[in-house]
Amino acid sequence: MTTNNEALTKVHLATDSPLTTPQRSSDEPQRVSGEKARRRKPYGQWATAALILAIIGAFCWTQAGNEKLDWASVGQFMFHPAILKGIAVTLELAVFSMLISVVLAFGVALMCQSRNRVASAVGKLYVWFFRGVPLLVQILIWFNLAVLYPTILGTDTNELISGFTAGLCALSLAESGYMAEIIRGGIISVNKGQTEAGLSIGLTRGQALRRIVLPQTIRVIIPPTGNQFIGLLKASSLVSAIGGSDLLTQTQLIYGQNFKIVPLLIVATVWYLILVSVASVGQYFLERKFNPEGASSRFSFRKAGRP
Amino acid sequence: MTVLQEQAPLMSARDVNKWLGRNHILRGVDMTVEPGEIVCVLGPSGSGKSTLLRCINGLEAIESGTINVDGDRVGFTTRKGQLYEHTEQEAALMRRRIGMVFQHFNLFNHMTALQNVTYGPRKVLGLPKAEAIKQGLDALDKVGLSLKRDSYPAQLSGGQQQRVAIARALAMKPQLMLFDEPTSALDPELVGDVLAVMKRVAEEGMTMIIVTHEIGFAREVADRVVFMDEGRIVESGPAAQVLDHPANERTANFLRHVK
Repeated sequence: MTTNNEALTKVHLATDSPLTTPQRSSDEPQRVSGEKARRRKPYGQWATAALILAIIGAFCWTQAGNEKLDWASVGQFMFHPAILKGIAVTLELAVFSMLISVVLAFGVALMCQSRNRVASAVGKLYVWFFRGVPLLVQILIWFNLAVLYPTILGTDTNELISGFTAGLCALSLAESGYMAEIIRGGIISVNKGQTEAGLSIGLTRGQALRRIVLPQTIRVIIPPTGNQFIGLLKASSLVSAIGGSDLLTQTQLIYGQNFKIVPLLIVATVWYLILVSVASVGQYFLERKFNPEGASSRFSFRKAGRP
Repeated sequence: MTVLQEQAPLMSARDVNKWLGRNHILRGVDMTVEPGEIVCVLGPSGSGKSTLLRCINGLEAIESGTINVDGDRVGFTTRKGQLYEHTEQEAALMRRRIGMVFQHFNLFNHMTALQNVTYGPRKVLGLPKAEAIKQGLDALDKVGLSLKRDSYPAQLSGGQQQRVAIARALAMKPQLMLFDEPTSALDPELVGDVLAVMKRVAEEGMTMIIVTHEIGFAREVADRVVFMDEGRIVESGPAAQVLDHPANERTANFLRHVK
């Protein structure tokens, strides 16, 4: 039905607009050009749209009247200092564990690709473990590290491992398992000929990997890394299980005192959505910057443009 | 390395054997190339031509035999009478003296044409930036692409990419240039430009080993034509002789099909 509509619309537009009317020589027979096809009304689409809007509207209507939602409290706590502090901690957790995991993951990916069998086996084992153990379990293990090692380098482990540091360690390591696979995929995606060309101008294998192959993996790695970062922003809420003082922890602390559970969860929801949206926009621009054949290619990829 | 070198060929391969898995790719190849000589290697696909080139610059290791380039053995070095496999650094030092042009160009995709050409001289030979750029522009000019200096490989046609690849190899000032079917991946109308560039390089006295299917080019440019089949060199001689009066039945058969 939709395709029919489109076809009709095109006929209509083509005959209507002088710009799109093709030049015709006089000896050609008159076609349907003089007629005007009436656009068929998309009743079906209208009906579907109305139904969807009705359902959403009904939901909003019932919720707006729901006193337990307590929008006043949502507004009151939206910019509460404790909430803002929680947002800062969530951001710190996500950004720092992303950075740490990327560094770790590059090492692990190179190990996996190594011709040294021990290195490649250890790399694969690393990915298997940190990708395999649920994040919440890893967080709890780190938080209870003191049971295993009461002191680390002479310092009391419980002093060293706060909710934040335990969360940071767990998030970084778990994330590095995923990132290692993403980076390994990026390395594999670069044609073998690139390495050979590097070798042929006198680079060693290591130099060819670092200077020729890795820079080309960046473009392949960026989009999935953006997704991983968004996932990490949300996964950081798991540290609330050990009181990591992130956004969700702060939210829970507040509603534990005033019992305004739903309004505070709405505050957290709104803030997580905002953070994720900002990250998505950032990802969009990063992708554009690193795509040399993309829209603004020549000017943004390697700004210098010359060696 | 006990081979006596009477006239010091630039490249000599003796009884080279190469296996890839269970396939015996090179079966006792003997071949010498004199300084300044242009040698075209012909033969059906799978005859080991490309593998021979890859062994000459050490991209592939050989199982037995010796390959020497300019008096140095490829892949091995002798210290105190004992033969050692090349370290990564030694292998790289050897390869930088041998230029290689690939069938699929293999330009560095994240670099402009000029960056491709200047990368080796700057990072491997250690030339100062200004000097490398000056030489790089000369090299691009020689292949007729100085206007494309800031283009990325994806923005160039296949023929242009291959000419940049030739300039990249020449910029390292190699003693020997290897061409691995340089025009096989090109649209027919782009082949001529690349062959013209190669001819110019030949005229400047570069020693070249060219694996190709371009019989006309071989006839015109090659000092010598080598015909390979099933991992062996079955015929070798002056271009006119091998191409017009092949002594070997397989050579004759191949040439009938290619023409």
